[in-house]
This record gives sequence, structure tokens and C-alpha cells, in this order.
Amino acid sequence: MSTQPYPKLQETLWHEKLDNGLEVFILPKPGFTKTYATFTTRYGSIDNHFVPPGGQSIKVPDGIAHFLEHKMFEEPEGDIFSKFADQGASANAYTSFDRTVYLFTATHEIEANLDTLLHFVQNPYFTDENVEKEKGIIVQEIDMYRDNPDWRVYFGLIEAMYQNHPVHIDIAGTAESVRSITKEMLYDCYNTFYHPSNMTLFIVGGIDRQETMERVKKDQANKKFPPGGEIKRLFEQEPDQVKNEKRELELPVSLPKCLFGFKEEPGEQKDAVRKELASKLMLEALLGASSALYQQLYDDNLISDGFGHEYNTGPGYSFSIIGGETRDPDELVSRVSQALYDAADKGIPSDIFERTRRKKIGAFLRMMNSPESIASEFTRYRHKGGDLFKLVEVYESLTLEEINERLREHAKPDRRAISIVRSGKA
Amino acid sequence: MSEQFQRGVQGRLRVHVLPTKRFKTFAISLFAGVPLSEDRVSPIALTPFVLRRGTKSYPETISFRERLDDLYGAGFGFDLYKRGDNQIVQFRLDIINDRFVSVTDSLLGEALSFLGEVLTAPAVEDDRFRGKYVEAEKTTVSNRIDAIINDKIRYASERCIEEMCKDEPFRLPALGTKEQLAQLNASNLYEEYRRWLQDASFDLYVSGDTSLDEVLAFVSKSFKLPEGQPSSYSPPKLRSARGEVQTIVEKLEVGQGKLNMGLRVGATYGSDQYAALLVYNGLLGGFPHSKLFINVREKASLAYYASSRLDGHKGIMTLQSGVEIANYERAVVIIKEQIQAMKAGEFAIEDLRKTQAMIVNQLRELQDSAFERISFDFSNVLSGVERTGDSFIAEIQAVTPEMVTAVAQGVELDTIYFLRDRKEEA
Repeated sequence: MSTQPYPKLQETLWHEKLDNGLEVFILPKPGFTKTYATFTTRYGSIDNHFVPPGGQSIKVPDGIAHFLEHKMFEEPEGDIFSKFADQGASANAYTSFDRTVYLFTATHEIEANLDTLLHFVQNPYFTDENVEKEKGIIVQEIDMYRDNPDWRVYFGLIEAMYQNHPVHIDIAGTAESVRSITKEMLYDCYNTFYHPSNMTLFIVGGIDRQETMERVKKDQANKKFPPGGEIKRLFEQEPDQVKNEKRELELPVSLPKCLFGFKEEPGEQKDAVRKELASKLMLEALLGASSALYQQLYDDNLISDGFGHEYNTGPGYSFSIIGGETRDPDELVSRVSQALYDAADKGIPSDIFERTRRKKIGAFLRMMNSPESIASEFTRYRHKGGDLFKLVEVYESLTLEEINERLREHAKPDRRAISIVRSGKA
Repeated sequence: MSEQFQRGVQGRLRVHVLPTKRFKTFAISLFAGVPLSEDRVSPIALTPFVLRRGTKSYPETISFRERLDDLYGAGFGFDLYKRGDNQIVQFRLDIINDRFVSVTDSLLGEALSFLGEVLTAPAVEDDRFRGKYVEAEKTTVSNRIDAIINDKIRYASERCIEEMCKDEPFRLPALGTKEQLAQLNASNLYEEYRRWLQDASFDLYVSGDTSLDEVLAFVSKSFKLPEGQPSSYSPPKLRSARGEVQTIVEKLEVGQGKLNMGLRVGATYGSDQYAALLVYNGLLGGFPHSKLFINVREKASLAYYASSRLDGHKGIMTLQSGVEIANYERAVVIIKEQIQAMKAGEFAIEDLRKTQAMIVNQLRELQDSAFERISFDFSNVLSGVERTGDSFIAEIQAVTPEMVTAVAQGVELDTIYFLRDRKEEA
């Protein structure tokens, strides 16, 4: 077991890569009553076209990663939620563009709960009947999201930006794609992406790291897996241009919802973590609640407290999302865009850069109070080749010049897309 | 769970301090509550929005927010909600512990001084609030009131409660009403604010590496409340369900129907039966092993979500599910059967044990979150009971099937609310 102490953060992380390829991380939190564990596969909604190790290329229906996540909770002996409940733990799971995460929190019977987590994720049980039954539930989940204007405007923007890259496909799929899913397809996906060498286990809480690691090693040594191999993910060529400059949709909303953003050059992301932090700092400096622009837009009643920004990167994509609800989408987009283009010309002032850096470091340290956030963010950054516990150092090493360069690269008028949801003319 | 709150009083302010070294931050919450009333709900709702625009020392909103950024990006925010028949304003500040950064002044002292000023020394001119802030925040609150319709799940839930409680102050939304909002201006709002400072119940909580004495010393310098003693909360009035269940159907552009039910439960947080009631709620619809989830979702595949929520401060329970519109009646029948089964004592002893284990786990877990510990303790203050995490766990573990069946007799359906599409008959 190797250790990585982070004296500045007063944390020590323990790590081991097991013989079957599984990466295990343990972060002891002395004094904490709760233990939180995540078991993550590097597999999400964008992995819909791939070549399994030593196999043939497969194209699968939209929403299958999410469907698989639902079905993992069913075991021959019954519903796994019930098993966790017996052991006083609450379990959950979620699917994103590039990850599927299974998790539990518990304050007692940690070993038994850990065994259950490893067991159910490594023990698929799909039948024609249980696959069929799940379809009705997932269609209701899709319908629930379809009624949600925040989700629709968010996804509308990604759909406007990307022409071929599967990031534009709704994580849950559509009623049609979900109905076409079979148990054979689920097994294909499972066998490809749930191999231990494609997975990470992260455990944080008031645990004994030695005992916990031994337990996991023993559990894994007792299970047989075929040798892992390289999974080839196939992505169609994505053009630089956005698909639509603007997409609009009608749903009942009190005020129009408007999001827009810039699509960066598709393809492999170099130095993804540093680029992500630089981009987030840049956006916060220009658009955060203490920026002059934010205050002007607020005073002009163009934005509400919900106005915000984010920056997303993953395999083959990176883009920003800016906006919120507004009385006038066109004016909001044009004023914010212009402010970004002007700032790209003039540069961000150094005092604002320093204050924003300080704010980001403070927010990071606050986040480190939450075992849930640590586990989720650690795995996310690791998939990008970064280390969550070194983000303060990355923030400290960013330079104003770098941030300004990031802004000039990012805010390009011909890479902008807009998504609007507003009420129909009733 | 050896950490204990230390209690003190500073004039009208009750001060509760939880000394602990487990977290990287100081968590601060200030609760201010008054009985919900038609006359005051809107001015009190608007008050925190105006207070967060500027203080005596930082009268401009930008300087106010820059101050927060300079305190290492202190997390600052407020919430407005109903607890029992009270309207509560909660301010929150989360600020990193000095030991992680190099600073000269105590960040806790700076944060309390800031919060004290937000509450008691706002930006005023000529004995009234700044007109510009009041007008802008009236628009913000008005937009928020309108925005409830955007999230159909939340909208349906609030409408159900409004219909069930239409003869009580509890029908009022915590954000107030647009009609009253329109009557407010910089002068009359300032008067209402002064009155609120004089008669609200104030509780200040601080968790972190500090002591009661240290906090009291900071507070005496920065909280300039009117003279007096702390005031306490009065218990909620319990009501029984209407004689005949009312059914409300409302039409809107939705794809999925949102089914809500409101029930009276005959006991509150302060009652001796509260532990049994919480277990009842868990058995009926609090968890994935509960009756609603199993019967509405897993067996009938009618819904993605089907759950119950207990509001112990008010003594009501709400059930919610998203169903296909054509399945409305089937869902109602299944849900009513579950309520009936609880009355008849038809639940498995294993499910009771699971529910107890899950609730105990939640109670243990909240020890790891400073803000959750604060909320738990504040519930005691509100209800005039003295529960600790440990004593409440013991109460939950002592619940018997007979006790659950006994509280089930007091649970009565009052209102069915269904939000459906505008099409005629599905």
C-alpha cells in the first residue's frame, strides 16, 4: 500500500492497485462516524460505440449505461436496496457522460456493506423479464425530466453544440431507445466496462485503512475475472463548428430560461485538469457574483440569483455553459458575450484575478469537509489524469497571463451556441 | 458523540457553540423566527433579500461581495422556510479555519462581525433602506414566487399543501405574496424590519475550533439587537383531517401527471409518539424498501418516484409520485391500500427493523455535518424538547410494531391533488 500525505490539507490518502487491475483508495477521517464508499466504472452515456478487448465493434442504444445502472440493483436473491437497508446503509447510483458510480453510506457494519457493494456491482443478473419490467420505470424517469425546463434548456445547449459526439445524447436515452434494449446488450456492455481494470473503489470515513484494504483484497482475490484488456472507444469525427447557433423550445415557465456557451476544439484534451481550473477561474472572475458585470446585469433586471456558469470537459469535448432565467435572452447573450470579447482584448485585471483565486481556494477547502464530494471529485479528476488533493497547488501556480490566454482561446464568436426555453403563446 | 453544545445568551440572542476540531471550516447559522401571519409574511420574506445587498461598512453590493471573497470565499447565503406555524429566516456562513491559510485576524471574528452587521446594521439612508435595493429585490422575490411553476414536482407539492391548509396561516408561502410585495417600499419595509428585530426569536449557532467565551466576545461587539430577553417558540396547533377527502385536479402543460396527497398525522416533533411516527413514515414511503416504492414502482412499474415526506413540525405528511396520466386512478387505489395496510398493522417485522436501521444510520451520519447538527439542535429549540442524537436513536430503536400501528390510526388522508395535462380525457 502506498501513502500520499497532503500535510497542507491534513489528509493522508492510501492507495493500492490490485492484481486484477482494480484501483483502491482509502482516506481515513478520524472522528467521523460515517463511511462513504464509491465504486466507479469509467463508463457513461458517451460510450455507445466501442470494441471490447479482443472483440468486434459494437454500437448500442442510447441510454444503455443508465439502464444498466438501474438493473445492477437486482440480484437473484432480490432487491439490493433491501440488503443494504438490513445493514443500515443507504445506497444509490448515478450515471454521467463518462462515469457510472455506485455508492453507499453507513455508520455500522461497514465491512458487510462493503462486501455487498462489491458483490452486487460484480454480479450482474439480467433476465428478459426483469429487463422488460424496468422499461416502464425508466420511461417515467425520462418523462419526469422532459417536464423539467432546467434540464431541457441544459441539454438543449449541448444538443446545439455537438453534431456527432455522443455527449449530446440524453443520458437516459429516449422511450424508443430504451424499449429496444435487451439483456444480451446489457451483458455486452457489462462485460466490457465492468472489468476491475476499468474501475475505481474509493472509501472515506472513520475506518481502519489496514483492515479495510485487506478486506477488499481478499474479496477480489476470491473472484475470478478474465484478463482485462484495452477497450477501444469509437467516436465519429466532430466538426469544430456548433450544430445550431440557437435552439428554442416551448414549456410553461415564468421567465425564459437561457443558456449559452462556447464549444472548444473537439478531440483529445491536453492537460485537462489545469485547463479546467483555469477556465473556471476565468469565468468566475468575469461573471461571478462579485463581478461588475454581474451587478450591472442584476441592476438591469436581466439576471437572477440563479445566473451562473460552468465548464465541462471529458473525452473529446469541452465547453462552457453560462446563463439562467432572464426577461430578455437576446439582450443577455449579447451583453455577456460582448463583455467576454472585450475582456479578451483588454485582459483581466490582476487584483480581480488574485481575489478570485483566493475565493476558489476557499471554496475548495470548504468542499473538503464533505466525504461525498471528496469521493466523487477525486474519481472525476483521476479520470482526467489529475489529483484532487493537489488542486490548491494548481490554483496557486496559475498565472494571470495563462488565464487571459485561456479567455482568448475560449470566447470565440463563431463557436457560440444558445439554448432557450420559453412559454408558448397561450 | 462526545461533542456538546455550549449555551449562552447575549441580550435577545441565544448563542449555541459546538467546539470541534473535525472540520476545516467554521459553520455559522443564524435563525430568526416569528409566527406565520398574513400581515407580516411578505415584508419578512423581503427583508433578507435587502439585507444581503449592503451593510453600513459595505454599503455597495460589490464591496459587500468582495468582502466575502476576501474572507477566502466565505460561503454566505440565506433560506426562508416554514417550521410548524413559524416563518424562519436562516442566514448561513461557512468560512475556512485560519489554520489552513495565513491570516493575521481571526477569520471567525471577521465572519461574525460581518454577519452581525448584515443582521443589525444594514445600509440605510434617512432612516429607511436604500430604495434602489428594495425595488430590485421586490422584483427578485416576485420572480421567485412566479418561478415555483417551473418545477412541476415542487409546484404540485406546494399546491397540495396550500389546498390542505387553506384555513390556516400555513397556506402562506414562505416567500410571501405578490399582492403584499407590491405594497412595500423602503420606509415601510424598514419599519417592519425594526419590528422584526424586536420580536423575532434569534438563535446563533457556531460550530468549529472555538469556544462559547470566544464567540460571546465577538458577538457582543457586532450584534446590535434591541434590548431584551430571548423569546421562545410556541407549539403548533394540531388539526385533524377534513371529514371527507377533497380532490383537486389542475391542468397545465405537463407530459407526466404529478400526484400528491396530503395527510394529517395527529402528532408533532414535540410529541412522545414522534419516533414511532418517523418509523411509520419510513415504512410507508421514506426508503427504497418502503411500501410506496415497492408497490407503485417495483411491482406496478407505474412511476419512477413514489415517496412520503413527514413534516414533523407541522404534523402533516405528503405523498408524491409522477405517473402517466392514464394511470392516475390505479395509482390512487394502490397508495390508499398502503395507508390502509399500515392501519391494519400489515407490515413485515424485517421491514420495521430495516427502517429503524436506516433512520438510526441517518441520525448517526448527521453527526459528520456541522450544518446538520445545527439543524437538529434547532429543531429542539423550536419544539421545546431536549433530544440528543443518542437519546433519539434510543427512542427509534425502542419503537415496536404496536407503537407504529397505534400512530397509524391517527394518520388521515385529507387532500388528493393531481396535476395533469390539458388534454380532455387520457
